[in-house]
Amino acid sequence: MRPHSSLLAAVAVLAIGGVLSVLLADYQLRLLNISVISAIAVIGFNFAFGLAGLISLGHAAFVGMGAYTLAIVTTTLGLSPWAAIPLAITLTTVFAGLIGYPLLRLRGHYLALATLGLNVSFTIVLTNWVGLTGGTNGISNIPDLRIAGFAFHDERRFLWLAMVFLAACTAAAVTLQRSSLGRAMMAVRDDEIAAEMTGIDVTRIKIIALCLSAAFAALAGALFATHVRFVAPEDFSYAHSIVYLAMLIVGGEGTVIGAIIGATLLTFLPEWLRFLGTAYLAFFGLMLLVILIFLPTGLVGLISRLRRGKRASKWGSMP
Amino acid sequence: MTLLSATGISKRYGGLMALSEVDFTVGAGEFVAVIGPNGAGKSTFLNVLTGLTPPSAGKVVLGGADITRSATHKRIRAGLGRTFQHGRLFSRLSVIENVMTGAAIRPERDAAYVRDHSRGILASMGLEEVADRPIGALSYGQRRMVELCRALACGPRVLMLDEPAAGLNSGEVELLMQRLTSLREKHELAVVLIEHNMGMVMRLAQRILVLNFGCKIAEGAPAAIQSDPAVLSAYLGEGYGNAGS
Repeated sequence: MRPHSSLLAAVAVLAIGGVLSVLLADYQLRLLNISVISAIAVIGFNFAFGLAGLISLGHAAFVGMGAYTLAIVTTTLGLSPWAAIPLAITLTTVFAGLIGYPLLRLRGHYLALATLGLNVSFTIVLTNWVGLTGGTNGISNIPDLRIAGFAFHDERRFLWLAMVFLAACTAAAVTLQRSSLGRAMMAVRDDEIAAEMTGIDVTRIKIIALCLSAAFAALAGALFATHVRFVAPEDFSYAHSIVYLAMLIVGGEGTVIGAIIGATLLTFLPEWLRFLGTAYLAFFGLMLLVILIFLPTGLVGLISRLRRGKRASKWGSMP
Repeated sequence: MTLLSATGISKRYGGLMALSEVDFTVGAGEFVAVIGPNGAGKSTFLNVLTGLTPPSAGKVVLGGADITRSATHKRIRAGLGRTFQHGRLFSRLSVIENVMTGAAIRPERDAAYVRDHSRGILASMGLEEVADRPIGALSYGQRRMVELCRALACGPRVLMLDEPAAGLNSGEVELLMQRLTSLREKHELAVVLIEHNMGMVMRLAQRILVLNFGCKIAEGAPAAIQSDPAVLSAYLGEGYGNAGS
């Protein structure tokens, strides 16, 4: 493992974010903030789906749990958002661990259906537990994040903060992916029986993958709550889980950079294709189909293939 | 001294008796082969020993500890190792990363040790040059050897090999035999071999157990097995000894 590679990735994220924060207008900065928050959620989803192969359609529920935990404890208990973020991550991770034991006995499409059910149940609870969640009205007036009186309330300032979180998440994810834990997750996805036969506790690794996934999702949710300063059930519906899945597939599952590319592309794409009107959805569906058929390793896979091709042609021209 | 023992192992699938009261032992540094026709229950027997299939009856003891109900990964950590008939490598990992999954079995091993240890195992099996290649770039024979390296990286006391010579050419089989012999001598490794290549079995095994329809029909030294009428009739064929094979 090269320890500097995770640091390099984090520095690259910060540098790109810094440049964009100067160049972009306010509305584009808002989109960029949403894409950074989504990227953190998708980096987390990569542990469960991309590395360990857990087909989850309930990732938005973990994002929602993080967002609602922060919203509830800051607005009703008056807790600082900085204290609420670790609390949101801890509660969501513990919940994922507890639900993981029964849930991860299922595989393939059974697991997909069960996690979809989890997400649907989550939004039903949010909608109907009016006393705690505000029901369909949601929770507003969530306090913004501040450091020594410096508030991250506008889009540019929030982007600086979000980029620091994204850089830290990128570095952590790259380090984890290259560790024995990351290899164990990939081994579990490739062949559970062979993984057991190398001494890997498959159930434990799957639960760790789900917990890591939930922890990153909760951080994304907490950042979303402090950015928008309002949360409502429709922000965490199963449709959002499918979008997270699409982001990872388009970017390139199993890679951290793929998660970031996919989240950014699919956040900006509706804006770039606004001229298509409602036909956008047809374009989006077609694009996904094309990627699934021709680029099963996503855009990152395409980039790697092009780089390999370039290298091969260079070697071919050598005497 | 007995390292691994299985007593009265039976496995029933509905009306089919895949294994019927099979007794088996292997000691440290001993090489035991399990042979028999296709469908005799050899792989099922290895599955029971490694915990992939729970037995309907019987007991498995490793180093004095009853592991009959232990999960597979716990048996591997306790000292069992196994390769598969059709090779099961992790295709998304490189050669060395495959071996590293085995070497990381002990949490106290740090990353540098795991990598160096894995590279050392690959070097001892002549695979150092392909260490950083993806699995897809290897020949079939190399893949079988990488699987063996991965099992060795777990540090087994008992190594179980399910048809390791299947699909290998004669040169590769010869190389495999040399390396297995050297491993056994060097590490006092107990080896349990399932194999249809009788030349390999007769040359390597100190003791042979013969299964047919899930029952043990013979057990003994290679010379005795070659002339056992029940084994000749069920598996080797009446002309086996005369053909000189």
